[in-house]
Amino acid sequence: MTLALETQALTKRYGRRLALDAVDLAVEPGTVFGVIGPNGAGKTTTMRLLLDIIRPTSGSARVLGQDPRQGGVELRRRIGFLPGELRLEGRVTGRALLKHYAEISGPVAPGVVDSLAQRLDLDLSRQVRKLSKGNKQKLGVVQAFMHQPDLLVLDEPTSGLDPLVQQEFLTMVREAKNNGQTVFLSSHVLSEIQQAADSVAILRAGRIVTVSDVDTLRATALRRVNATIADATADAVRTAFARDQHLAELTITAGDSLTIAGTLEGDIDPFVKAIAAFTVVDLRVEEPDLEESVLGLYAKESTDD
Amino acid sequence: MTRPLPLYRRSLGESWRSLIGWSLGFLAALLLYVPLFSSIGGNPDMQALLDSLPPAMISALGYGAIATGAGYVSATFYGLMGFALSTIAAVAWSSAAIAGDEELGSLELTLAHGVTRTQVVLERSAAIITKLVWLNVLSVLVIFALNDSAGLGLEFGNLVAVGAALLGISVLIAMVGIAAGALTGRRGWATGAAAGVAVASYALNAVANQSTDLDWLHSWSPYAWAFHNAPLSDGADWGGLGLLYGVSAVLLATAVVALNKRDVGI
Repeated sequence: MTLALETQALTKRYGRRLALDAVDLAVEPGTVFGVIGPNGAGKTTTMRLLLDIIRPTSGSARVLGQDPRQGGVELRRRIGFLPGELRLEGRVTGRALLKHYAEISGPVAPGVVDSLAQRLDLDLSRQVRKLSKGNKQKLGVVQAFMHQPDLLVLDEPTSGLDPLVQQEFLTMVREAKNNGQTVFLSSHVLSEIQQAADSVAILRAGRIVTVSDVDTLRATALRRVNATIADATADAVRTAFARDQHLAELTITAGDSLTIAGTLEGDIDPFVKAIAAFTVVDLRVEEPDLEESVLGLYAKESTDD
Repeated sequence: MTRPLPLYRRSLGESWRSLIGWSLGFLAALLLYVPLFSSIGGNPDMQALLDSLPPAMISALGYGAIATGAGYVSATFYGLMGFALSTIAAVAWSSAAIAGDEELGSLELTLAHGVTRTQVVLERSAAIITKLVWLNVLSVLVIFALNDSAGLGLEFGNLVAVGAALLGISVLIAMVGIAAGALTGRRGWATGAAAGVAVASYALNAVANQSTDLDWLHSWSPYAWAFHNAPLSDGADWGGLGLLYGVSAVLLATAVVALNKRDVGI
């Protein structure tokens, strides 16, 4: 079976700066593949290379079995692309703009644009330049999905979308996958990738730190917990949490009630069980930003080699 | 299902409002200058005033033959206002077409679709040329309509010839902007190169007009290629037109090759 997407030692250098360093990726058809990493890690560079917007310094890529450079127009018609920094301008309406993009991509089935717009709650009759950032992003999503391409390349697709629309978008990604389409998407939000992707590559400073499935990633993810507990002493709390191997950096601040904070790595269950013994006034479990959580874990690994 | 020239149609479709503005500008310039021929160019007092001015200034402006209808229209509209307006339009449109779109980030999205880079350069250039053709057709028709009432005594064939000359230099300036944009991807460079060529070719021509010793400079000025041999009085200057359109074609080919070779949007 041909891979939907494959790169071999894909490298991109801008002058002396190495943007992408010998990246090997393999994406099975009909799967959702996520790339996460901080800004400047090489996510956008990788995607631009796949679309032949930029050319590799060395190494190679195959997209739907073809070299992006050789595949040309016919190959790009089979791809839906959403750029990371989408800036749409113009006095034309959203509908007119989508009509233009439909003319230069694969055939769009009747009614698809309207149904996508409806799902994302996007008004197609408004002028593009007057749309908010989120609505422009929706237009970008629609133009990427509307011709039901074999491969979707989506750079930070949910940026600017409100949470309800984000959920709808993730549903669309799952539907695409069920249709047999392949989705290659990037994000700096771990939870989003966790919901959507089958496998995840973590990119840092132009190199792949690790490729793993989502469950593995979840098991190793760090979370920050904050809780307020009434009617308890600091010692009692400390004792209760002492057995939790996953809890680190525990701080307890006494006041009218006790405020506790710490970080959890992996399994959250023992912490929940332990805190249940107290009167919990407030509890927050937060996913720290990507840099702290996942990349923190792999930082050592990446500096070792 | 697939209609031809999608990028060309989009370029024109997006700019019809601005084209109306430009058309009004050209109309205003024409209606301001051309009807005044009898009271300025053909007026003996005006001739006396011109005679009192320094000859160097007269030759720099190309006002030497202002007493005839052809000389007047050449000097006031084609050599000055029409050239200035066309230059501004050519610089603005050409720098926006490739480099401006690239700096906005939207060229990247277009190129990710089913179009080639060659197609992008050619269709967008064609849209600019179409708009420049329209402005020149409009000018020729307006001047011809005023020909009798203003007493200009112009021949239609010569009017077409000077229109082709102004179109030629405008296209050349636009192709400088397209080529510089395709080479660099920077709007500033595209604007600078196109405007620079326009200003340099005007200045070179003005200097070359000063003495017969400097006459050879005319052969280096696209402005002189267009207007030095007085197409409005003497008919088409085929050599000059050949240079204008030939160099434009070379610049367009350069733009195609350049955009195909390089990374976009970095």
